[in-house]
Amino acid sequence: MIQNAHAASSRPWVAETEPPFLRIQKVTKKFGDFTAVDEVSLDIYRGELFCLLGGSGCGKSTLLRMLAGFEAPSEGRIEIDGQDMAGIPPYERPTNMMFQSYALFPHMTVERNIAYGLLREGVKRDEAMSRVADILKLVQMTQFARRKPHQLSGGQRQRVALARALVKRPKVLLLDEPLGALDKKLREETQFELLKIQETLGITFIVVTHDQEEAMTLSTRIGVMDEGQIVQVGEPAEIYEHPSSRFVADFVGSVNLFEGRISVDEKDRLEIDSAEMGGTIHVGHSTSCTLDQKVWYALRPEKVRLDREEPVGEANRARGMVEEVLYLGGQSIYKIKLDSGKSVKATKPNLLRHEDDAISWDEPAWISWGDTAGVVLTR
Amino acid sequence: MMRGGWTLPVLCVLGFVFLYAPILSLVIFSFNASQLVTVWGGFSTRWYGELMRDTQILGAAWISLQVAFFSATIAVALGTLAAFVLMRFGRFRTRALLTGMVTAPLVMPEVITGLSLLLLFVSMEQLIGWPAGRGMTTVTIAHVTFCMAFVAVVVQSRLAGMDNSLEEAAMDLGARPVRVFFDITLPVIAPALVAGWLLAFTLSLDDLVIASFVTGPGASTLPMVIFSKVRLGVSPVVNALATLIILAVAIGVAIATWHIHRRMKEARKD
Repeated sequence: MIQNAHAASSRPWVAETEPPFLRIQKVTKKFGDFTAVDEVSLDIYRGELFCLLGGSGCGKSTLLRMLAGFEAPSEGRIEIDGQDMAGIPPYERPTNMMFQSYALFPHMTVERNIAYGLLREGVKRDEAMSRVADILKLVQMTQFARRKPHQLSGGQRQRVALARALVKRPKVLLLDEPLGALDKKLREETQFELLKIQETLGITFIVVTHDQEEAMTLSTRIGVMDEGQIVQVGEPAEIYEHPSSRFVADFVGSVNLFEGRISVDEKDRLEIDSAEMGGTIHVGHSTSCTLDQKVWYALRPEKVRLDREEPVGEANRARGMVEEVLYLGGQSIYKIKLDSGKSVKATKPNLLRHEDDAISWDEPAWISWGDTAGVVLTR
Repeated sequence: MMRGGWTLPVLCVLGFVFLYAPILSLVIFSFNASQLVTVWGGFSTRWYGELMRDTQILGAAWISLQVAFFSATIAVALGTLAAFVLMRFGRFRTRALLTGMVTAPLVMPEVITGLSLLLLFVSMEQLIGWPAGRGMTTVTIAHVTFCMAFVAVVVQSRLAGMDNSLEEAAMDLGARPVRVFFDITLPVIAPALVAGWLLAFTLSLDDLVIASFVTGPGASTLPMVIFSKVRLGVSPVVNALATLIILAVAIGVAIATWHIHRRMKEARKD
């Protein structure tokens, strides 16, 4: 559950060794009758790369715009580095934003785009230009300094937009779908560069994204949003392995959900009677629930074992027919229709180049998993 | 349908003849030596000489150019403001009313615009003594009122096509709203301002009806002078003047085409 990459000292949200750098307290934003952001409270620490993850219309962009100062909260309080942000216009906030459309000024060269913020701040021209040169080097765009935005490719524009937002050394950098406009390959490369830059400069990043993979790779913590509310906050592995609700489990990654009722509730084990599974699901841990309560058992496809013969030793197993096989190169996704009628997804890494004996379409097969593989969800 | 036959070229030629034969005949007759407009009396540039000595026409042309210049400039300033308010100030209460009022001059018959402005000017003079009499000032004001509507429409469409986040980005980088307007908004919508100015200039130069209502002694615009001359019989001087105007327009169009062509070539090169 704990990511090894982050040592305990760099995880202030666990130990609370320092006060939060950015505090969002019961912030609500209403547009007429529509509530875009609904009583969101969030603490973000210095140097974090925090991802706000959610589908379109979940309020994540509105929350970001409130941090930047483009929208005023209807209720609640936003504090950055101990300073209340109420009534402070965007041009006086210690934040900078990288826009989804990049919003590069079309009539200015790359250099002047980046220098614009510094000159507004009153930085001397010589100093501004040397800082522009430094940041251009950081994003590897030095040779394009004299180009206009329309002479650049999508990836290059993205770098310029990042440089322009970074050059003022904001306390908080806000990124709205920063990699949304890039193609998949470029996106993966850029993710790592973004991480490197964030670590080099130590600026607090808040990223809005709808791409759960992006959120997973980039962030120290993720806040999953739905209908204006934060439904779960946690480190990527926590969100993935311990989702707090069906929505989170389903939104982050792929999941199999079995509906059922608690039939046995003991101190260190549970049993769920599930018609969808066609029997009993054995769970090797307890959770806060009562007997006969309706629950959902969430099981990730990669935790499912697939066999031709009935497996022995696993706590849970069910028989079905292979309905579909999707070959993805590195792995294959199997869709197995259980005898109960429920379709279950299972992934299998393709370890061999030619597997003549691979399980295929319309074959009967067994799925199985251990008693620690899944999570019991009550909502 | 027959492909590659003669139908299309013939229709094409007929079309062009229909469009340009009158203009061509006008140009040819401007070099006519005869006093009579419809009878060819040999080649001469005599009417161009007379045109240069015709102080009435030259004076009217000068007045028209001044009126067009000032009314286009004022119309661009006011029209841009109106467009900006309509596009950027969200949904204020009188928005629908303002939209209607800004665009009304587009569909208002010129006779009504002219007449109502005349009445306004007369009653204003009686009440506050300004504008004293009618002349260039009143014509300019009248032209601003209807040219402004055209400018507002042109600028509005450009603002609608402009990415809002450009202005937000500038503000985010520390520019105050006024600064944002001059640094970002204005340069981005500049092409629309130029287009609006040229449109307003042309409309003002072309207007006969409204100017006739609101002008006064000594401030006849070029269309008014030409119109009154033609009523007394077409003078070859008017032909010469028209030829010069056509020449000026042709040069303008040629420069614009060349400019656009060059810009497109540059864009393709990138």
